[in-house]
Amino acid sequence: MGKPGQKLVVKIADMQIAQHGEELITYALGSCIGICLQDKVTKLSALIHIMLPINMEAGRKNTMKYADTGIRETLKQMEARGARKGNIVAKVAGGAKMFDTAPGSSLGNIGKRNVESVHLVLKKEGIRLLAEDVGGTVARTVSFDPSTGQATVRSYGKPDHVI
Amino acid sequence: MEIKNYSDLDALEMDTLREVGSIGTGNAATALSGLLGCPVRITLPEVRIMGYNEAIDWIGGPENVTAGVLVHISGDMGGIMLAVQPLEFVNAILHHMLGNQVDSYGQLDELQRSALVEVGNIMISTFINALTGLSGMRVALTVPSITVDMQGAILAVPMAEYGGQTDYLMTIGGNFICDQYELPCRLLLSPDIRSLNYLLQKLGVSNG
Repeated sequence: MGKPGQKLVVKIADMQIAQHGEELITYALGSCIGICLQDKVTKLSALIHIMLPINMEAGRKNTMKYADTGIRETLKQMEARGARKGNIVAKVAGGAKMFDTAPGSSLGNIGKRNVESVHLVLKKEGIRLLAEDVGGTVARTVSFDPSTGQATVRSYGKPDHVI
Repeated sequence: MEIKNYSDLDALEMDTLREVGSIGTGNAATALSGLLGCPVRITLPEVRIMGYNEAIDWIGGPENVTAGVLVHISGDMGGIMLAVQPLEFVNAILHHMLGNQVDSYGQLDELQRSALVEVGNIMISTFINALTGLSGMRVALTVPSITVDMQGAILAVPMAEYGGQTDYLMTIGGNFICDQYELPCRLLLSPDIRSLNYLLQKLGVSNG
């Protein structure tokens, strides 16, 4: 937990929790996804930077690398700090396809799979998805302001926009 | 003993990979020299095993915009090869090949982008040819693809590709020196762990 006015940087496979007066930011989401979660009442907010859709690791360490374990662990931590699950809403950005790889390659589209997994996990947990900016082919930097609930998306060669 | 993690590599194996990087980068430099019509030398090739965020710091921060040419490798060995082309490098290429330059990536036209893809592709292919020549492996390369965007997101492509196997990014590669000044082009090979075992075995240094 930082001091008021502080910018909390969320790294890759990482999560930070902030409250009113602080700001959350994560840089250069390509196929990765930034998930902003906020309790509308208490304003307690979290930003997760996930890289892959589903955690299949033995031992399930590194929860924040994956959409499923990342969202569930974050909800747990938010609840432990007084948030009520029923009041938590989500905004999501990322999941781009950075390179136009050959069709039919077995590698698939990680960004798209990440988006699908995030949608599924939010739905299962009963978290309402308020807004999203996903897919496409551009990287995104996302910042979230807990006091307004606004997420700002910055991309190369485009004006910033708020979701 | 098969390695299960990049950190399991011993000193001999790391030296071997560095040598692979040296020969691969050397071949790519020769090809680049032919394209640019000037002598090209290489810096000491590196093998790096980095955590995700360490790798982002190493490349120079997440948000700086750069051009990246990417090729997927399949067959006896799986991996991703990236040619990261900062603006100075882009301009050196454009100057020598097309006789023009740009102030920013946004000004790149179709022909210039195509020239960058081709240079990236030639460097990557010569690197891989050297590798397959050494090891006797057979690999196939995908059609190269270029993107101009934040370098953090470009580097995240190989990270995500092998993210299910490891928390680290492995890169084999080096920088180039042309006309006395260092061209900050990075040629990076990120192999998957299974292929790394096979490669080391083929080169005769697998410790088991």
